[in-house]
Amino acid sequence: MNGAITLDAIRGCFEGLMPALLASCSPDGTPNITYVSQVHFVDAQHVALTYQFFNKTRRNVLANPRATVFVGDTTVGTRYLLQLEYRRTEESGPVFESMKARLAGIASHSGMSGVFRLRGADVYRVLGIEAMPGPTRRPALRRYPPTSAMRHVAARIAAAQDVRGLLDDALAALGEYLDVRHAKILLHAAETRPPRLYTVASLGYAESGVGSEIALGQGVIGVAAEQRVPVRVMHFSSEYTYSRAAREVRAGDGSGEALETEIPLPGLATPGSQLAVPIVLGRRLLGVFYAESEETARFTHEDEDALLAVPRRSRRASTWSY
Amino acid sequence: MDAPPLLDEATAAFIAGPTASIAIASRDDANHASLFKAVACRVSADRRRVTLYVDQQLAHAVVARLRAGFPVAAVFSEPATHRTIQLKGERAELGAVAPADREHARVHFEALVEHLVALDYPEDGVRCYFHYTPEQLIAIAFEPGTAFEQTPGAGAGNPLGSAA
Repeated sequence: MNGAITLDAIRGCFEGLMPALLASCSPDGTPNITYVSQVHFVDAQHVALTYQFFNKTRRNVLANPRATVFVGDTTVGTRYLLQLEYRRTEESGPVFESMKARLAGIASHSGMSGVFRLRGADVYRVLGIEAMPGPTRRPALRRYPPTSAMRHVAARIAAAQDVRGLLDDALAALGEYLDVRHAKILLHAAETRPPRLYTVASLGYAESGVGSEIALGQGVIGVAAEQRVPVRVMHFSSEYTYSRAAREVRAGDGSGEALETEIPLPGLATPGSQLAVPIVLGRRLLGVFYAESEETARFTHEDEDALLAVPRRSRRASTWSY
Repeated sequence: MDAPPLLDEATAAFIAGPTASIAIASRDDANHASLFKAVACRVSADRRRVTLYVDQQLAHAVVARLRAGFPVAAVFSEPATHRTIQLKGERAELGAVAPADREHARVHFEALVEHLVALDYPEDGVRCYFHYTPEQLIAIAFEPGTAFEQTPGAGAGNPLGSAA
């Protein structure tokens, strides 16, 4: 891989604000171009592309795995060509579920609900990255860069005197340093059947919703918990909102058993952006941080990274489990 | 008598029209594909020849492969509707651009920026994203041998003009 540019450095191009372009080639030498709704950052060497239709590109990469993708970040104007090699398709698991949730937002935003459906996450190894020369725009200044915000939030949590204070302080600090207006913290009740998450603290809702429940696998929060993966949706998607009463939410395990609580899960009716980050201690799921906003594309990968790091930075992380 | 042109009038108007976002691809002798964005397009009066205007510095890999005689593919997509057409040709001819072509490219660039700004994309970011250097433009002309409907949905991948 190119020593100068890393995938981590260009994650702004993977926010899905502008579709990427993929060029592949059939075994008989015919080039083909397709639009890709989403290029997903998997790790430092891999990206995953949405597989939505069995099309020419699909046939091409199965026969000839080399491809080139053009990605750009329209917020700052940067653009790159990535040399890729197709490796595998995942039809379940964290990468798939995270991409499925985000695609639902993209589909809804672009009037393609019912057309865009994720069949699989096509994982490619990145062989090289080429930056395209040209002017760029300075990113908007944030009051607190996410790394600074993370430090402040972790310090606030560490200073909390008890668990109640820790939860409330964590949300207040997110509001102050990451400018999060609507958020909640849910903890994992692993021993209940079906396993579920219940709200222990919230910020910015008319009703606190403390005590409301959601099943693992249900919506953005449930997927983040079940798959232990951050889930970030950049546009409104009716499939992933929480404005319905908890009583209507059925367990995601196929049992059809209604959750017992009658406390509504607090949520915006039409969130433009959603971010759910699992709180994990070792391999154990403790709960989920959830933030939402009326604004489209409000949360970036930097917010996601900051929220992921907060519990890990807190020496009192074990207290998240009560 | 010659067969009718592959492109009907509406398709020709669409691919050369103000809202088409364009990309061009080729491949090398190892069948590795390359691509870049094109700035603008013109279609000949008889609709048999398509010319794309491309920044040869930015699109250096595609340009080198087309210059070596490898085949060409081009997509044209309207961001607001996702309407997308793909054309393919056996080979392309590379040539210089005239001042009128540069002006055509400039007008198309401005129209596309306006189209995207109306969709809430930030204007200065979009200008950078589609940036090209007028002095680096070259003309890449080809006769499309095949044309495909590529708008997302049931008809995607069908040859143009066939039933979905």
